[in-house]
Amino acid sequence: MLALVLTMLLVPPQQPSDELTRSEELQLAREEKAQHLEAPKRSFMEKGLYEVKERKLVERFQAGFHGFHPLIGGIAKGSGFGFGTSYEISDRLKASAQVSMKGYQKYEVVFATPRFLTDRLFAEVRTTYRSNPEEAFYGLGNDTREETRTHYGLKDRSVGGHAGIRLAKNVKAGFHAGLVDVTVDQGRRSRSPFIGEMFELASLPAFDTQLTYLRTGVFFDVDTRDEPGNPRDGGRYAAKWSSFRDQNLGLYNFGQLDAEVQHYIPFFNQRRVIALRAKATVTRTNDDQTIPFYMLPTLGGSEDLRGFADFRFRDKNLVIVNAEYRWEAFSALDVALFADAGQVASKVSDFRIRDMHTAAGFGFRFNTAKKVFYRVDVGFSREGARVYLKFGNVF
Amino acid sequence: MKQALALTILITFIVPSALAQTFRADDPVWVDNDAAIDVKHVAKHKLNDQYDFMIHAFGKPGDRVPKRAMNINTLGEVPDSSWFQNRHALRRMSVEELVRGPNSGNGPSMESPWTVIGAKTEGITPGFRIRDGRGDVYFIKFDPPQNPEMATAAEVISTKFFYALGYNVPENYLAFFTREQLVADRKAVMTDGTGRERRLEEADLDVILKRVHRSQDGKYRAVASRQVYGIPLGPFQYFGTRPDDPNDIFPHEHRRELRGLRVFAAWLNHDDSRAINSLDVLAGEPDLRHVRHYLIDFGSTLGSGSVSAQKPRAGWEYMWEPGNALKRIATLGLWDKNWIQVKYPDLPSIGRFESEWFDPKSWKPEYPNPAFVNATDEDTYWAAKIVMAFTNEEIRAIVKTGQLSDPIAETYLADTLIARRDKIGRQWLATMNSFDHFRIVEGELEFEHLASRLDLGPEPAYQTEWFAIDSVSGTRRPVRREDFQREAALFLVELTSSAGTIKVHIRERDGDLQIVGVDR
Repeated sequence: MLALVLTMLLVPPQQPSDELTRSEELQLAREEKAQHLEAPKRSFMEKGLYEVKERKLVERFQAGFHGFHPLIGGIAKGSGFGFGTSYEISDRLKASAQVSMKGYQKYEVVFATPRFLTDRLFAEVRTTYRSNPEEAFYGLGNDTREETRTHYGLKDRSVGGHAGIRLAKNVKAGFHAGLVDVTVDQGRRSRSPFIGEMFELASLPAFDTQLTYLRTGVFFDVDTRDEPGNPRDGGRYAAKWSSFRDQNLGLYNFGQLDAEVQHYIPFFNQRRVIALRAKATVTRTNDDQTIPFYMLPTLGGSEDLRGFADFRFRDKNLVIVNAEYRWEAFSALDVALFADAGQVASKVSDFRIRDMHTAAGFGFRFNTAKKVFYRVDVGFSREGARVYLKFGNVF
Repeated sequence: MKQALALTILITFIVPSALAQTFRADDPVWVDNDAAIDVKHVAKHKLNDQYDFMIHAFGKPGDRVPKRAMNINTLGEVPDSSWFQNRHALRRMSVEELVRGPNSGNGPSMESPWTVIGAKTEGITPGFRIRDGRGDVYFIKFDPPQNPEMATAAEVISTKFFYALGYNVPENYLAFFTREQLVADRKAVMTDGTGRERRLEEADLDVILKRVHRSQDGKYRAVASRQVYGIPLGPFQYFGTRPDDPNDIFPHEHRRELRGLRVFAAWLNHDDSRAINSLDVLAGEPDLRHVRHYLIDFGSTLGSGSVSAQKPRAGWEYMWEPGNALKRIATLGLWDKNWIQVKYPDLPSIGRFESEWFDPKSWKPEYPNPAFVNATDEDTYWAAKIVMAFTNEEIRAIVKTGQLSDPIAETYLADTLIARRDKIGRQWLATMNSFDHFRIVEGELEFEHLASRLDLGPEPAYQTEWFAIDSVSGTRRPVRREDFQREAALFLVELTSSAGTIKVHIRERDGDLQIVGVDR
């Protein structure tokens, strides 16, 4: 064929054809094609993708089966890979059940009330049962050793809720209340020893006591983030006060203030973001009261001090600061360099910059414009390197 | 068969330019009658957009061998067809015609409520399908809440530009309505967020309207896109041909109007110019049906990204460019392309659209488009000529149809389009041999230098040489310009300047002279 074309190109030009016009030649080409028509075909891959989309298989999977929706992850810190299902009893009433590879369990029923006053008022009630059979414990204080890792089992049942008012587009305030029933046991057999094998149980407040708390409090939340699931601008400034009243013995009452500031500084058209977070938890007790060790704030793990194990440090007060430099590699992937510093202390006055535990690392954030759906963070600390594979963003 | 067909097309359209002397009686062809054969059995064929992304981002579909566009006439122009109609650039449209665009009326009738016959509640772009009192069907599309007027203005304005440029586009109207204008059809079904079909309820309409912007007077602003006449068949690809359409014989990646679309898409920042935003329609009479090819969905043009302001990357980089991604990762983000520094004005109804950093040559759609990749200098020159046909006043008049309430935004948008137009002219007219508009006036060959006429650059010195072509042997011999009409029936004029040589063929027929070929 090529030879024929070349021949035509090289031979002296011919006299214009008298037989056929250009339009007639095109018509002939079309008539020729009309003799050999074929239906459009799809390749194997296209067929597969086409069926997934046309049959809305992803939506149906997310929507679940007869009201059951799949749930992946999100049970508790340190639970390992978790999965489960939720069931929509009605538009506002939902139940869920989740288990993890480490034997964690979580069962929950949530009722969200209709919104009132053109969405300004909101409320939610939920009851939860959790069984965390392998909660890590390294001792109390900021200078515990990694080798002292032990574990215990924690079970709690709670019923409670919150109600609030949206004061402005990004501002909401309200109160919360509930009952929490907590018990601690040996948990399941694990690579780490049971807590009692390394620590004096008598030195651990409320270890052998089943406690029922009445929890009440207020919250205030200002959220100016552009996309909460993948923020690049704005910030979140939240505070929550909780009062825990021991309903059994009256010995373990305490108050807790959780404060968190997130701020995002975008530059280069939001393709670069400096993400900052500071978080503090401060607890207060009267002189004759104690806080159960399992209710104390903890530090370490994928959500705050990366490079350290989950629950690595535990005490009455906690402070953590995180800084991330995030940059876009391509549309669906951001890369991050991060630095974390945190500390726990029995008294606020004990916080010292020199006592901060530090970690640094890098991460890959797989995302859409609205959401980080998966992240791989690698944190480095004096205790080594840790890799975190997590659904959802860190902050 | 495919090879034979390709050869036929090659002989028909390419060989004339190679030999430069073989002209047919009907050259130059101005109408390619690709509706001549009745399309009897053409299948509806939907395209999967994920698959489309994958084959284009990770593969190279279509023929990528550099070659001249295959569907041009001997003047290097695109004949009218089911794909393209020469409009503003060749047959000047009045401002009134430009402003009207493809629209045949005033949009959906407001005399009676619209019956909602379909709805899309899931996803990020909610919308309705309605039937108005006249029985016409429209798709109703909205602005994102944070960018009122942006997507609807972009859709309406770009529709008019693409129509004037020569493409088949739907009739798109701006519509303003209240909730009372909508009534759910009792028989209407919708697919909900769970992928299941169910009856459309009035409450579903409220759910959708809750997610879109409502103006202070309680009205919703939307684009009403009239359903195209004919039977929708699915999108066309930017490569290959439809195997079930006998009239579709030119590989799409070698069609000039699809290659040149790259320039128009750059001008209007149509980064979503991909197969999924096209539509083939079975049109015509029952005994002579043919496939018409449309460009649809211009919500992601200008500064609009449909559901938000256009992404900063849009127009600058493909979604997937592994080299750039690796460089960014390896340099901790210290390396990047210039687009991340582009500054945009704070105009929510515009989004992200600018002209200062705009570089027409490096502009890119979301992912590689085979026709765009194949575009040659000739293709982009052809398209740039069409872009430059729009005057400032015409551009401002079309922009006005977007009904932007902020006059600063309207002025900015028009100014930006004018500046981008001029950059396109400088890129593809000023840097190429832009002697053009050849014509015979009273026996004399006349032409003009486009770049200098449009103040894009100086006219270079040039010289012309005249030749008579022997009709039997095809050999040429020099003739004096004054004597050329007496020497033969076919003549060649070589116009040479520092920018190169353009060959113009003139044919004498029945005493009349006719420009029959332009080869640049």
